[in-house]
Formats: sequence, structure tokens, C-alpha cells
Amino acid sequence: MVEVDFERRLERLFADPPRFPDAEAFALRVERRLDRGWTIRRALIGAAGLTGGVIGASQLILSNFVHRMESASEGSAKIITAGWNQLAPNAGLLSGLPTGSVGMWVAAGLALLATGFVVTRLIEEI
Amino acid sequence: MAGAQQLKLANLHDVELAAHAATGERHAFGELVRRHGSSVRGLLRRMGAEVAEADDVAQDAFLAAFERIAEFRGEGTFAAWVKRIAARQYLRRLQRERKLQGLAAEAAEVADVAQEGASVAGRIDLDEALKTLSIAERLCVSMCYGAGLSHGEAAEALNLPLGTVKSHVKRGLDKLRARLAPVEGAVLEGRQGNG
Repeated sequence: MVEVDFERRLERLFADPPRFPDAEAFALRVERRLDRGWTIRRALIGAAGLTGGVIGASQLILSNFVHRMESASEGSAKIITAGWNQLAPNAGLLSGLPTGSVGMWVAAGLALLATGFVVTRLIEEI
Repeated sequence: MAGAQQLKLANLHDVELAAHAATGERHAFGELVRRHGSSVRGLLRRMGAEVAEADDVAQDAFLAAFERIAEFRGEGTFAAWVKRIAARQYLRRLQRERKLQGLAAEAAEVADVAQEGASVAGRIDLDEALKTLSIAERLCVSMCYGAGLSHGEAAEALNLPLGTVKSHVKRGLDKLRARLAPVEGAVLEGRQGNG
């Protein structure tokens, strides 16, 4: 019984937190480190996304995929142009948009950027 | 605006703050650090860490706690949870620095120190009493009574046999009792450190 009492007293002594005058400064230091870690993490995720995008794009450009896409995109562009002309023959504002193979590449690039953005956001959320 | 947010956070329970922190709210976690920073720093000093070392480990422990905040479900107190993290981090640091070698072999050769200076203090001080323990005893007692680890968990963390940890705890308790008992009626409290 005496033993148990002493152990409880010891637990109470340990649980009694000492008061440090620099407690607020300590908390601020931890918060600063949290913020710094968060900024570094965001930068790293962004850099990783950019690197991945560059590598992916370079791989696409260097592969035979280019030739296949060019022929496919020319065909697609013709179909899209024909369809577009049927749907909106008088759309003056949109007529300036590139509709050839360049347009397909621009669209693919934008899609890649959007995918990179989504992946980055997903990683941040996780 | 910041003051209002601070006030709002100050009114929240630890579990609510932890839930906010789990969504990435760093200010909510900052409030938890404000509340429990001293407990963690105090425990590490009682385990034998130097002032700067204790603060370093405490900071690392809070950062680790933030990373793992989703694991805190409020079954125990936040303070107990983060103290356990801090105690384990301190042990890992000691292991890296090879300061735990020979812990198992450490015997009661410093037993007599427990009586040293017992009559000096008018006010009994846990921190001073802990200094009379050997490193192993101090670690084991602090981990079991300060960080709330069971003997088995302490043995695992220290990589020592369970029986050895129990022996260290028993010897440590005997010394503390001898140190603290003579002035039973006096005010018992830990030292009010100054950072």
C-alpha cells in the first residue's frame, strides 16, 4: 500500500509540468519549423511535378509517338474542323483558334499541365 | 484577427485541436505545443537530457507528432501521447550516440549517492532527487512514471530484458523514496526550470 502510494505520488510529481519562461518562444520555434517544413514540402512536390512533366513530355517527343500522333492529329483535326464548321459556322471569336495539328498539340500540352496540377493537389491532400 | 483566432483556439479541447491539426491547421497544433511544451521539455530534462538537447528533442517530437496527428484518437491525453513520442526519440538519440551501451550491466554502484545531500534541502525537489539515480535507473523511472510506458514497453524501447528494466525501476524507486521520505510533510514539487 505504501509502495502504491509512493508510486502515485511520483506520477503526480512527474505530471506536474515545470513552468518555463520561454514557453511561448518554444511554441513559436516549433510553429516556424512546421511552416518551413510545409513550404519545403510544397516546393518539392512542385519540383517533382515539373520534373515529371518535363520527363514525360521529352519521352513523348523522342519516341515514335510523335509521328503517329502527327498523322492521327491531322486526320482528327480535319474531322474536328469539319464538325466545327457545321456546328458553328459564324463563330467569329472562335475562328481564330488553331485547329490544325498545332491545336492538337496545344490541347495535349494543356491536358498534361492540368493532370500535373491535379496530381500535385492530390499529393498535397494525401 | 490573429488574436481572435488565438482566443478561439485557446477555448478548444486538446482532442478538438488535434482534429483541426489533422486537417493541416498548423495554428491549432501550435496551441497544443503552447499547452504541453513545458511538460515534454520537463520530462526530457528529467530523463537526463541537457537543456539544449531536451529542447531539440522536444521540437523534433512535436514535429513527429504533427506528422502522425491522425493517429491520435483521444483515447489517452495528448500530453501522454506526445511524451511517449518524445521519450522514444530521446532514446533513439542516445542509441545513435552510443550512450546506452552498458546500460544492462549498470549496477547499483551509485546506490550510496541517494543519501547524499538528503538533509540539505528544505524543499524536496524531484529533479534533484533524480540526479542521484544512475543513467539507467533515471531513464527507466522517467519512462515508466513520466512518459507512462509499461515496463515491457520501456524494455522494448531500451532494448533491454524486462527483468533488467524492472530491477532498474525498483532500485530507482528505492533511491527516490530514500531521498524524498525524510521530509514527508514538506512541499513536494518539481523544480521550476528557467528554460
